[in-house]
Amino acid sequence: MKPSPSAIPAACAIPGTPLSNASAGIDACVHCGFCLQACPTYITLEDENDSPRGRIVLMRALVDGSLPLDDADVRTHIDRCLGCRACETACPSGVPYGQLLEATRATLTRMTPNPFLARLVLFVFARQVLLRLAMLGGRITRATRLSWLLSRLPGRAGFAMAMLESTRSAMRRRHYTPTGDGARGSATLLTGCVMEGLFANTNRATERTLVANGYSVVETPQQRCCGALHAHAGDDDTARMLGRANVAAFEQSGADFIAVNAAGCGAMMKEYAHLLSDDPTWRARAAAVASRVRDVSELLAEAGPRSGGALDTTVTYDAPCHLLHAQRIASPPLRMLGAIPGLTVIPLDGSEHCCGSAGIYNLIEPDVSDRVLAPKLANIAATRASLVATGNPGCLMQIGAGLHQTGARCRAVHPVDLLDASYAAQAHAHRTP
Amino acid sequence: MPTDVAQHAAPDLASRLAALVGERRVLARPSELRSYESDGLPGYHARPALAVFPGTRDETIAVVRLLAELDAPFVARGAGTGLSGGALAEGSVLLGLHRLTRILSIDADDARAVVEPGVVNATLSRAAAAFGLHYAPDPSSQTACTIGGNVAENAGGPHCLKYGVTLNHVLAITVLLPSGEVVTLGSADGERDGYDLLGAFIGSEGCFGVALDVTVRLARAPQAVRTLLADFSSVNSAAHAVSSIIASGIIPAAMEMMDGPTIQAVEASIYAAGYPVDAAAILLIELDGAAAGIDDDAARVDAFCRDAGARGVRIAAAPAERARLWQGRKKAFGAMGRIAPNLVVQDAVVPRTKLPAILAEIQRIAELHRVLVCNVFHAGDGNLHPNIGYDATSADETERVHRAMAAIMQACIDAGGTITGEHGIGLDKLPYMDALFTPATLGAMCALREVFDPGRRSNPGKVVPVHSCREWFAAPSARAGGAS
Repeated sequence: MKPSPSAIPAACAIPGTPLSNASAGIDACVHCGFCLQACPTYITLEDENDSPRGRIVLMRALVDGSLPLDDADVRTHIDRCLGCRACETACPSGVPYGQLLEATRATLTRMTPNPFLARLVLFVFARQVLLRLAMLGGRITRATRLSWLLSRLPGRAGFAMAMLESTRSAMRRRHYTPTGDGARGSATLLTGCVMEGLFANTNRATERTLVANGYSVVETPQQRCCGALHAHAGDDDTARMLGRANVAAFEQSGADFIAVNAAGCGAMMKEYAHLLSDDPTWRARAAAVASRVRDVSELLAEAGPRSGGALDTTVTYDAPCHLLHAQRIASPPLRMLGAIPGLTVIPLDGSEHCCGSAGIYNLIEPDVSDRVLAPKLANIAATRASLVATGNPGCLMQIGAGLHQTGARCRAVHPVDLLDASYAAQAHAHRTP
Repeated sequence: MPTDVAQHAAPDLASRLAALVGERRVLARPSELRSYESDGLPGYHARPALAVFPGTRDETIAVVRLLAELDAPFVARGAGTGLSGGALAEGSVLLGLHRLTRILSIDADDARAVVEPGVVNATLSRAAAAFGLHYAPDPSSQTACTIGGNVAENAGGPHCLKYGVTLNHVLAITVLLPSGEVVTLGSADGERDGYDLLGAFIGSEGCFGVALDVTVRLARAPQAVRTLLADFSSVNSAAHAVSSIIASGIIPAAMEMMDGPTIQAVEASIYAAGYPVDAAAILLIELDGAAAGIDDDAARVDAFCRDAGARGVRIAAAPAERARLWQGRKKAFGAMGRIAPNLVVQDAVVPRTKLPAILAEIQRIAELHRVLVCNVFHAGDGNLHPNIGYDATSADETERVHRAMAAIMQACIDAGGTITGEHGIGLDKLPYMDALFTPATLGAMCALREVFDPGRRSNPGKVVPVHSCREWFAAPSARAGGAS
């Protein structure tokens, strides 16, 4: 052991791969370890190979050729990453970890494809007809209460059914017609795959609350899946195809803002310029579209939001990782909850930690996902709140399924649903004094 | 030296360790050991033969007893945030203690806690906060580093200027000796009869054994706190301000300096604290204690800074702003990745009156070797942390960086200083030990180690150069004049 640091070779062993373009991001890591305690998989699995710092060491080894692209250990630890990006909000050096992870997965899956289940899900989400059929199947299963029955099954199948069961609306729906002057500009909704398929009520609530807060709402018919699931899983070709389709579609809409109520999708769309950076023309168009993307909580918080009628209940807030860590949006959802009279907001311990949903991670890495979810459920239970609010379909279903399977009375809801219910309560109070 | 386990015992050892702690908790494949080749100073890397992660006190004892039985060397490691290469385990067993994370008790009335070695420093303070208490030593890596590692390095931190280092806050340790024997050093009551073996253990850099649990003193929050940010257009004037504040008799809780390049790296990061980006240096000075008189002290510190040439001094108004100012300082090391892909950092200490001269000398050395030195350090203790960012793929630049570092260390020694304030000797500072200590003193250190670890299996090859110990044992007559 030579008691002085030595010079290292500069050569890249894997030219032409997505990871080879990410060296600058890898070099930004100084190995300080400040990310360790932010990482759910490090805390859960207690091995630095399952930490951001350790995974960056593995990525660097792939780039310099000291580990081969088909190394089984590398694949295991890269696969186990949730992609929650909590390390990014802990990193003083600004390591673009999410981009490094996607580049690594895009490189590794060229050598060894993803498991069949992952490829099947990605295949369906990239094809509109199949996606609609799948969502229809989901709604039928839910409407016939088959999902309730099957949610008692052990293992992943039961959990998947519990996820579906948890998409049943937690709020009582009362009709009202929002009024607004549209003075804050026009907004168009990314309707999303799961959101429109299983949370259509939340999409309508999003439109109503936007109108009630001074936005005019226009439709964007040609939109597709945002591509986030594909990008996260290393299928960057499909992610780019979907990205280009959405850039073209939202260029057509001409709305001032593209409102997104799914944090994962919003994070993806805000990064379209990076996704399409291989082509200068598309990069510029993507940057223009991305600059109009807002999480719905940003738009509503910008407008106040307008206060509604009283909701006499208790809620705690869990921050979706792709809202807090990827988009760095912390307080707007809390301002939405704060605009609801009578609502008691109870702080949630560890709300900045991932729930283990992470796109399709909970289907592909069920064991780790369950272990990451367990402390989340315990913390939610400790608040004794009736509701847990979180603005991402993956988190709603992961937490919702966990609550359902443990027999908890607490339900998961989107913050927009709460604000919408508050506006409905206000409208009905005016109608029947 | 003990036999290298990598050479003969590894296959059998891995399965025997797995029988004690579970298969998933023993790493033996090179691809999985890669992440454990470095600590927080990744310029150094060395591959362990194996890594083993016990999850309980009993498992830890069983592992160390097995290693003793096999005469196998091992290196304890906490979070791997050390900055001296101290947790590198070339060819030996890396004993990860990061899974021992239980806070065994917090006694609010007596203001003390008993923790396992893998408890993260900031986690302890967070748990103690429920009782209005905190753990005073606050190394900049406190959100990641462990109490066990803090004990091994006798860790400091900004607030150690007034409150003292780890040594001043540890009351007792249950030590697992490398032989597998369990002994208690110190006592929870704080009374130390006989030789201070606890004091010898703290700062022994993992060479004397493994802490199984640590009884620490907790501190109560001061009645009043004032945090001042002074903005200077030259490093020299900031250094003079430090000297005059210290000379005045005021003892700040902390007094930190950051220079221009460091400020810019932090301000570009998620921890941007609102430091003036055009300043050549800032001082972050915290005063605390009784509310009476604290504003007078703050006014005097303000005046000392302005007399020394500060362009402005502001006092953080709210706790949130104070926290932000400190976050920026504490994450500065991590932000260095913005400056260059590779980094070396030193930890020298000089008498505080020598600060202006040594900072000028460091600048001269940097210019001579054409390297960029960033300074962020505990000015109040004279504890320097010159960071040099560089590109390790350039052999020429790497060589210049090492020459510059060696020159800086020599300058600090020449100024009457020493080579480490809080990072430890580890591997990184071994070459300077001969310049700092006589062979007899180094021999005495070897003799002390003999008491705890006669087999020299616990963190072998660190702290004291091997040749010193060889000389010591080769020439017993030197013992007569040894304990200098």
